[in-house]
Amino acid sequence: MNPWRLSWRVSQHEPALAWSSVLLWTAFFTFPVVIGLIVGEAFSALDRGDLGTARLVAIALLVAEGVRMVLLHVAATRFTRVWVSWQSSIRANLLSDQLADVRDELGRPVPSPSGALSHFRDDAEDVARFIDGWVDVFGAAVFTIAAGIVLATIDPVATLVLVVPILLVAAITWYFGDAVGDARRADREATARVTAALGEVVGAALTIKVNGASRPVLDHVGSTMDERRHTAVRDRTLDALVRAVGSSMTDVGLGLVLLVAAVRVRSGAFDVGDLVIFATYLTWIGFLPRMIGVTITRRRQAMVAFDRMRLLVADDEAERTSTQRHLALHGDAPLRPERRVPERVRLDRLEVHDLTVRFGGEVVVDAASCTIPAGSLTVVTGRVGAGKTSFLRGLLGLTWGDDAEGTVMWNGRVLDDRAAFLVPPNAAFLPQVPHLLSETLGENVLLGSDDPAGLLDALDLAQVELEVDAMRDGIATRIGPRGVRLSGGQRQRVAAARAFVQRPELVVLDDLSSAVDVATELALWEAMAQAGMTVLAVANRPVAIARADQVLVMEGGRLRARAD
Amino acid sequence: MVDSSGTSAHWRGLAELLRPHRRRYLVLGAVLGVASSIPLLSPLIVGRVVDRAAEGAELEELTALAAALVAVGLVGQAVAVLVAWFATRTAWQTTNELRLELADHVLALDHEFHRSHTAGELVQRIDGDVTAVSDFLSQVVVKIGGALVTVAGMVVVLTLLDWRIGLAMAVYVAVAFAAVGSRRNHAVEESSDELSAHARLYGGIEERLAASEDLRSNGGGAYAVQGFVDHSVEVAETAVARERAYLRVWRIVSLGIASGAVLSILGGGVLVERGIITVGTAVVLFQYSQLLRRPLEELMDQLQVIQKATGGMRRVLELRAERPTIVDCGSTSPPAGALSVELDAVDFDYGDGERVLDGVDLHLGAGRSLGLVGRTGSGKTTISRLVLRLIETTRGEVSLGGVAIADVPLAELRRRVALVPQEVQLVAGTVRDNVTLFDADRSDDDVRDALVQVGLERLADGLDRELGAAGTGLSAGESQLLALARIWLRDPDLVVLDEATARVDPVTEARLEAALDALVRDRTVIVIAHRLSTLRQLDEIAVVERGRVVEHGERVALEREPTSRYAALLRTGAELPELAP
Repeated sequence: MNPWRLSWRVSQHEPALAWSSVLLWTAFFTFPVVIGLIVGEAFSALDRGDLGTARLVAIALLVAEGVRMVLLHVAATRFTRVWVSWQSSIRANLLSDQLADVRDELGRPVPSPSGALSHFRDDAEDVARFIDGWVDVFGAAVFTIAAGIVLATIDPVATLVLVVPILLVAAITWYFGDAVGDARRADREATARVTAALGEVVGAALTIKVNGASRPVLDHVGSTMDERRHTAVRDRTLDALVRAVGSSMTDVGLGLVLLVAAVRVRSGAFDVGDLVIFATYLTWIGFLPRMIGVTITRRRQAMVAFDRMRLLVADDEAERTSTQRHLALHGDAPLRPERRVPERVRLDRLEVHDLTVRFGGEVVVDAASCTIPAGSLTVVTGRVGAGKTSFLRGLLGLTWGDDAEGTVMWNGRVLDDRAAFLVPPNAAFLPQVPHLLSETLGENVLLGSDDPAGLLDALDLAQVELEVDAMRDGIATRIGPRGVRLSGGQRQRVAAARAFVQRPELVVLDDLSSAVDVATELALWEAMAQAGMTVLAVANRPVAIARADQVLVMEGGRLRARAD
Repeated sequence: MVDSSGTSAHWRGLAELLRPHRRRYLVLGAVLGVASSIPLLSPLIVGRVVDRAAEGAELEELTALAAALVAVGLVGQAVAVLVAWFATRTAWQTTNELRLELADHVLALDHEFHRSHTAGELVQRIDGDVTAVSDFLSQVVVKIGGALVTVAGMVVVLTLLDWRIGLAMAVYVAVAFAAVGSRRNHAVEESSDELSAHARLYGGIEERLAASEDLRSNGGGAYAVQGFVDHSVEVAETAVARERAYLRVWRIVSLGIASGAVLSILGGGVLVERGIITVGTAVVLFQYSQLLRRPLEELMDQLQVIQKATGGMRRVLELRAERPTIVDCGSTSPPAGALSVELDAVDFDYGDGERVLDGVDLHLGAGRSLGLVGRTGSGKTTISRLVLRLIETTRGEVSLGGVAIADVPLAELRRRVALVPQEVQLVAGTVRDNVTLFDADRSDDDVRDALVQVGLERLADGLDRELGAAGTGLSAGESQLLALARIWLRDPDLVVLDEATARVDPVTEARLEAALDALVRDRTVIVIAHRLSTLRQLDEIAVVERGRVVEHGERVALEREPTSRYAALLRTGAELPELAP
């Protein structure tokens, strides 16, 4: 894995914006060369007693500063956009693979969504910082070369001497790079320990109080705080040290220049103007070496970031984190990813042959087979942990990698990529605990398709239309994060409507009844039967089993027809 | 400031906090003064080089000045590092004390306070808010204080050269600082907009990851990514807005610095021509005008830290103002040994007028054991809290060993009365830490003995074994036993046992009962019973119903009396009709 190449691909996400930012920044960084020349000229004129020229030059200085301000403004706003777009492109790549409905593009599922956020936030930012490092190094290098040329024409020997502090800063920054990172990490860990200890003390307040243990427990918390004080001091001091090395070089460099040029200064060949030019340029002397040191450190962070993000994309292939995609986050209309909708194929008969599903290496569904004719209701029943949900997930191609084996045939034809084919309009799924998004109710049902009439039908079918009508904003009701503004039963039925909305050939339901009462469940089965749907459902209530055309029992991962 | 009185209270609070540490802060001030004065030297040296070279000085003198410049560069930055080290150290020392004081204060607050605040919120107030104050002390004070010293030094140096230049510099500095200071609220709104856009972005991503299977199986992947793009657009727009707000202030600083440079060249030129100052002094003037950039930029950055620190200090003072209702003012010790318990005409409500206890009279002799029986919400737990003085009666009195509970010093009460709670709270630490609750005075032998007594021999061999906060590595039953070991170690005179409903396997249950048997000997014991089977060894039974004790007597007698409520309960089955609490 080459962090340079991967970051390069990320950086070329919006090339025009990126390159114009680089050019503008470089111009901004290099501009002090001009300002130094102007100030030098002013002092030369002062020294000669030529007040008129000095005045003119002073005005030129004002103009130059004005130009620099404009440069910064344009550069900074452009750069902010490109900075966000780099991170967004990475995030989009991670998210697309996590949500891919094509088997070969699906990334490994994350153990916990909130835990995975650090990849989207910190890892993406680490890569962007690395790219930002190049931009700074490039701009600083151009400035340093331009300044070096100007200075060399004044005094080549004095200019050459400046290589010493530059190399020194680079070496020290690079040397301390790891220590700075380690100190930062240690401080974060110490802080986590303090908050954890405090959290426990406050959480166990009753126990501590009734045991009269406040004193010893607080001493314990105090010791974690002392530890954090040490890590904090180390962190801030190292940070100050690295900064100080760069800052000190302004005076040290000027001192060295004067030492070397003392003879020419004395003779007047190295005049006030020259001295002022040197002094002005030396303000920035630490920038290039410091940025080189910093960028070397960031390269390693970027490599770690790519290695972590790799696990979220298909085939664990780091390359896919930097896939080129045009999101165009600015301008009038951001670009939309295209919906891939498979062609509708009328269902006559669905056959499952020897479907085996593994979970964590363990076989949870063992060679399950069944046939589902069009227009029928098939109910799968069985105890908790029998493998019912895994059976549905395996059938639909929702499992990851090689976790599911066996064949599924649609009208006798084997489905190569079930994940890609078994989506609306061919199939739709209602999970046991449905997850909704914090958009409007209607958007949650439609998921991007444009079918207002279908939406109302689906809500009606799902027995939730009356309740939606009663809401002040109807289908435009914002349902809150994860749908918290709806009751559990409403969430379940809105998710059912989501499965019905495109009138799929096959509807797969995982325990519809878990959050609805018997009367509602009855009405739901009724409605589905009237609509002539083909349904495969996990269900346990007699009301479902009584209506089933076919009842399958799952026991210990094995599927069999009910013996009756 | 709008709320000047409130704000000054915050600063008074801060001053009070610093008073015990004033010597440290004086040293810090002194070091800071030196560190901030050193940068004033290098322009003076450069100016001197210019003038002396023009006057035809010896080469040695010029070389010495150049060497001095190198030295100033090195020493100046070394002192700056020293300041950073000292300031951070001092700030954290000071604020760690405040954190501990707050933690202590929070622990002393009432049970009700803890019920109405989440642990996360309290941690944020004890640690997060204080860290804002700490940042203020270690960064703002140093940077703004240093900037003031540098600027004042500049004015002094220039005044010594020529009072008119000094005056001009003073005016210029005042205008520049006022201009930046007037923008103190710069980018606050824009920054918070950007933060909320980020919050929406990450919240959306988390939600989509959680809904991954829903989206994949219903063809919603592309739609979900679209929503992500919308959030990203918002992030980009708010980031640009924040950047623009920042640039507005940066322009003021740059304009100030640029006009300073132009003024120093124009003014310097006039003064040089009239022979008032040398060219070298004009160079000093110019370099000083450039030296102002850093302080101005820092002022700009630190204004936000000040705002945060003010908010943090305000919340710290609010938290400190919370007062516990349980006051420690007692001075009477109940007689040694097992304690008798008396409740006389006790009423209790949580301040909402709804009586939880209604005229409860309950007397329990020293060394006796009592089982409290009743449904959830009947008032059993409230009685136990009163006996522990976690709450105070609304009316009536609770006495221990004949002494009113408020007259018993709290430390003694906590030592002599123990609670085994229903849910055992374990802390992240070793087995020893969990038994002693970090009390280092307990010997390993005592701890081991306590563990063996309660039947936890398994743990007695490895006191250094780490247990997680959630009790990782222990079964529910073992956690219960560990809580008993805590009590055993303390040897209290009254034990309140909120019996656990946790499903415990039969083997552990037998161990628990054996341990309890040993524990209740020679002590007064109150058991809040959830399962009738555990009442078999107790002397007395009290049945609680809707805040009243409706039946109280010897267990054996109640069992034999067929009309008693207790006997009726026993008949309906071994389990009480307990609702989940």
